Amino acid sequence: MTVALPEQATRKYDLGFARWVRDNVNGGAKMSMCMQCGMCSGSCPIGTEMDQGPRKLFMMIRAGMKDEVFNSSTIWNCTSCYNCTVRCPRGVPVTYIIQDLAAKAVEFGYVKKVENARFAKAFWWSAKTFGRTDERLMTAKYYFSFGLVEGMKRGLANLKIAIGMVRTKRMHIGMPHKIKDTKGLQAILAKAAEIDARESKGGA
Amino acid sequence: MANQGPKSQTILVVGGGIAGVTAAIEAAETGYDVILLERGPALGGRVAQLNRYFPKLCHPTCGLEINFQRIRKLKNLRVVTMASVAGVKGEKGDYTVSVSVSPRYVNANCTACGACAEATDMEVDSPFNYGLSKTKAAYLPHEHAFPMRYVVAPSAIGTPEADKIKAACKYDAVDLEDKGEDFEVNCGAVIWATGWEPYDPEKLESYNYNLSADIVSNVQMERLANHDGPTGGKIVRPSNGEPVKKVAMIQCAGSRDLNHLPYCSRICCLGSLKHAVYVREQYEDAQVDIYYIDLRAHDKLEAFYQRVAADPQVNFVKSKPASIRIDEEGRPVLCGENTITRELYEAPYDLVVLATGMKPAASEGYVPDIAMEQDEYGFLVPSVEGDGGIIPAGVASGPLDVSMSVQSATAAALKAIQAVGPKS
Repeated sequence: MTVALPEQATRKYDLGFARWVRDNVNGGAKMSMCMQCGMCSGSCPIGTEMDQGPRKLFMMIRAGMKDEVFNSSTIWNCTSCYNCTVRCPRGVPVTYIIQDLAAKAVEFGYVKKVENARFAKAFWWSAKTFGRTDERLMTAKYYFSFGLVEGMKRGLANLKIAIGMVRTKRMHIGMPHKIKDTKGLQAILAKAAEIDARESKGGA
Repeated sequence: MANQGPKSQTILVVGGGIAGVTAAIEAAETGYDVILLERGPALGGRVAQLNRYFPKLCHPTCGLEINFQRIRKLKNLRVVTMASVAGVKGEKGDYTVSVSVSPRYVNANCTACGACAEATDMEVDSPFNYGLSKTKAAYLPHEHAFPMRYVVAPSAIGTPEADKIKAACKYDAVDLEDKGEDFEVNCGAVIWATGWEPYDPEKLESYNYNLSADIVSNVQMERLANHDGPTGGKIVRPSNGEPVKKVAMIQCAGSRDLNHLPYCSRICCLGSLKHAVYVREQYEDAQVDIYYIDLRAHDKLEAFYQRVAADPQVNFVKSKPASIRIDEEGRPVLCGENTITRELYEAPYDLVVLATGMKPAASEGYVPDIAMEQDEYGFLVPSVEGDGGIIPAGVASGPLDVSMSVQSATAAALKAIQAVGPKS
């Protein structure tokens, strides 16, 4: 008997996605050089913590799996060690592409679904506001991003660690540490955002 | 030389590997005077160091011996070993080539009796075995060397060992005062067949070639499998001499990599398939894993791939390994991503063979800047404005296997004959 045809695929493929990545993502133009050798995913020090890894992520971009790419943990788990970029036999700036995909995921509102993005957001909030990471406020921001009850639960669960950190002077009580010129920092960041907006509009 | 003069019909061939030997013989057999220069002490080049050819698995010694017999019959072909070219001047039909001969310290009296090698205890790295073994400081380049004549290693000169070597020779063949010589050749055409160097595996940093003797290159694998190699042809772990049960081949080790050799070296896929056969012939229970990006068994060589792939103990893993680390037992462990299953693997092996690519020898050393030019990778192509009097052949012109090198060399011989004109 003839084997039945597979069921109709329900997954949506956006066939213009690879082209969009090429034109809009930093380093995306070089992505067409990728030959799927696996050097990047194999070189990743936290490859086991990634759902896809860069090589598969690039294949998913080619396949047009837009939502899966933007909801992937891979773009948030990258530590920017640049192992993949240095070793890539085809000169693909893997790290740049992954970093910019994360930025685009924020821009298009995908981050709510991505667990790892919460921490990145809290980190960025602290760095932007104080010019430093304040362990207490950053952690609090991260915990309470899950909601009030969940935030309290997580905070209490880590209370012992927090006290230990205060005792060993790894965490302080009092006003958050700041850099001297937070206004200056914010001006730098504003300028960077302006340049980025201008260049990405020009399609650079 | 019969044809020396302002207009010469002599054909000079630079490089005594399979391409140079072929070009020289083909040109000489049509009656032209040919001079063949070889940088090393014997002809045959990389081919002499191979164990067997793909796809037929026959022995290169056979074809080389036929070629050496042809050379012996040709009175108009002169072979100069230990010779390299220091400069080329002139134009088609009238080149002046400066040749520099380095000392061999052994003259034509040598009968290859071997008394000199027995007389000394001094050893040097064997260049023929790619450093996998030592050889005596007075040595025969290899067992069927042409010319069949010993060499004394330069590092022995000036030591008491050199005197022992000289004293042992009954034929007055050892000349410790040999200073080499420089001379000029006038010729009408030059065939440039300087071949290739194996890409240096030490440059593949994450593969840690230096950390384990059990990580070898593909050219070393040829020596390991050869009956006159360092292990007498038994493929074993170089670190401890134990038999191999699990062997990995890493394809594109350097080739197709913008950080190393950007081009495909063309021979390594078939070379590794052949190495898998070497291992499987010797070990009934051995497993061979070939790590590849894609396998390039071009045109008719596909059949050889299918033959090897039919062996259930030869596996193909679609992955470019990211790194090699050494485990507590000293075994090399391949780390990377299987791109079919998306699994990250850490796989230990008894022996890892890096299929390193071919780097043109022309990328180092002297290359004439007339009539030829180097492409972006260092391979030689005839220059557009050139007069066609200097003709690249063999792997000097691009990555080729042996049969393609021979075709390239035969074509170069014809071009050289056309360059010097009908025999006068």
